[in-house]
Formats: sequence, C-alpha cells, structure tokens
Amino acid sequence: MSSSDSTFEGSDKKESDNSSASNYECNICFDVARDAVVSMCGHLFCWPCIHRWMTARSGRMTCPVCKADINEDKFIPLYGRNTTDQQDPRKKVPPRPQGQRQESENTNGGGFNLGENFSMSFGIGAFPFGVFSTFNVPDRQGHYGHGHTHGPAPNQDEQFLSKVFLYVAVFFIFWLILA
Amino acid sequence: MSNIALTRIQREFKEVIKSDEVKNCQIKLEPFEDNFTHLKGEIIGPPDTPYQGGKYTLDIVIPETYPFNPPKVKFLTKIWHPNISSQTGAICLDILKDQWAAAMTLRTVLLSLQALMSAAEPDDPQDAVVATQFKQHPEIFRSTASFWAYVYAEAPRNEKMKEYEEKLKQLQEMGFHEKNSRITALSSKNWDLQAAMEFLLP
Repeated sequence: MSSSDSTFEGSDKKESDNSSASNYECNICFDVARDAVVSMCGHLFCWPCIHRWMTARSGRMTCPVCKADINEDKFIPLYGRNTTDQQDPRKKVPPRPQGQRQESENTNGGGFNLGENFSMSFGIGAFPFGVFSTFNVPDRQGHYGHGHTHGPAPNQDEQFLSKVFLYVAVFFIFWLILA
Repeated sequence: MSNIALTRIQREFKEVIKSDEVKNCQIKLEPFEDNFTHLKGEIIGPPDTPYQGGKYTLDIVIPETYPFNPPKVKFLTKIWHPNISSQTGAICLDILKDQWAAAMTLRTVLLSLQALMSAAEPDDPQDAVVATQFKQHPEIFRSTASFWAYVYAEAPRNEKMKEYEEKLKQLQEMGFHEKNSRITALSSKNWDLQAAMEFLLP
C-alpha cells in the first residue's frame, strides 16, 4: 500500500534509512515484516498479523491487499540471511508454515534410478517386474501412449499422468493374465 | 489503544500529510485529541456532482482492534445522499463494513467516500427517502443535494436556490421555526409545500 517514495523520518524507531525498506513492510502493521510470509498473490505480511487477520472474523479468507483467496497452508515463509527466527516467541499463534522443498527433477540424471514410480509398483508384487520396467522407461521420456498428447504439460502433471497410466496398464495386464 | 493500532495510525498520518490529495486540498486529516483514537477528516465535494465545492467534515473513530476492523466513520456535515443518512450522517459503504481489508488506510477510506459521493448506490441505500427521490426524481435530487451543499457545506449558490429559500420562508411564516426540520421536510416531499407542512404537523 505504501508508495515507493514514502520514506519515514529519522525519528522512527526502525531504521528504515532508505525508501527501499518500505518494500519490506508488512501490509497490515506497516512495520518491517517480522516472521515474514508471502501469500500466493505475492503480498508480504508478518505471520502474526496475517494470522490474526484470518482468525479475527470467521470466514474472511481474503488477502487484505487484493482480496484474492488466501489459505493458511499456502503462505511461503521468507528467510533472510542471519535470521534467528527459531528464537522468536510465537507461542500465541501457530508456528509459521514450513517452507516446502522439492528435489530438483534433473538431479536424477540418466542412470537406472527410476524414482518413486518404481518402488510403488513393487508393493503390488514382484511378479510383473519385467513388465513394469518396460512400461516405465518410455514413460519417463514422455513417448509412451497417451502421454504424448499432453505435449508441454508441467513436469508434475506429466508424472502424475504417467503414474495413472501405469496403474491402468498394470490393472489391464492382471486382467489379461487372469482371464 | 493497542500498540499495533497506534503505530499504524501514526504511520498513516504521516502518509496522508505527504499525499498529493492533501497538497491539492482534496482531503484533510487531523486528530481530535492527541491519542489518535478520534480523528477529524475533511473531504471536498468532487467536481461534476451536486456536492462540488462543499467541505464535508467526517468523524473518524479508530477501534481498539484496528486495522483488523474498519474505522467508524460518519459525516458531521449534513448531506443529501442515498447512501448517507440525512439525519445522523451514518454511511452505508461496504468497505466500512464487511468488505474492509487490513491494507486499506484512512487515506483510501477518505478517497472512497469521495468516490461514493460521485457514484451513489441507490439500490443499497442508507436513507430510503433520498434513494427513492434519486431514482424517481433525479432532477429534484440533484438540486436538493446542491441546496444542502450550499446550506451546510459552504458550496456555491445557484439560481434554483432562490425558489427553495422562498418555500422555506413560507413554512417559517406558518410557524415552523426549526430550520433543519423545514429543510428535511421540504426535501423529503420533493419541495411540495403542502406535503411538507403535513409532514411537519404532529
């Protein structure tokens, strides 16, 4: 809300010595954000402030800046350098949401490490082991069957789809064997 | 007042003082007392409206739970507007109720009120009499609103006002001495002298 040129006088207790500091002010208390979190719509808040906003009146789960839907689970914490946020007293409010990390896809490389798809199918039984691997390998490269039609879909979706197709294929093979 | 409310009001205050709207004399904000819980706002009637040139004073009370709850704002200057009570100055504006958002400020509230003066919402009225007139007799509404602006908000006169002053004088001669109730009666009855008189009789 605060415009970029709004600087605060030196009498302020926070040393907001230049205008860029106001870019890191909480949109609720207008102070430099403590336990900073950012919403999916990109707005910065103190975690205690936004938590109080979400609980102040029931059913008001909209961003205080842009009124986009917000959700307690979808805030991203911001960790600056040298933050000692473990020591913050946050007993009155639930802890700030955890950052969510996903391993980069590319680290798997070419190798024979076919990832989660594989281990999940083991659970069904060791019998069709050979069959699985033949499905699995082309799958990951996106050349198998229907996966093709989805073109440049995001990697996660592709993975999910390939899992679904794999299970359908497994089921189909079982059915063939049993019939 | 809680700490967060106080520090925020102080910051907002600085922001308003430096804003372009204050420099252009569109809005004003000053504390009633030193503790920033009770403030006085002023907005100028926007151009191309019946309120043009009027000065409207607002009473602003900052609740303990600010900014999680909206400030309580009402007009101290009497105004003829569908969304503002002609009697009490109470305002019907969504952002002062359930549509309040914590990132809004006193500056944006004052600007929103100015916008409300330019664009009334007669389907969501605060003053049903005014809203009915707004919809059924827009011409009378406009001249009534500018008459109120002239009488209460120091807006400039126009030629229509002579006729209205004449009717007020006639009512006064009939023995109705209270000026505000004469104005309200005539305004509510679309400046029909007979109807206004019946309205005023006990």
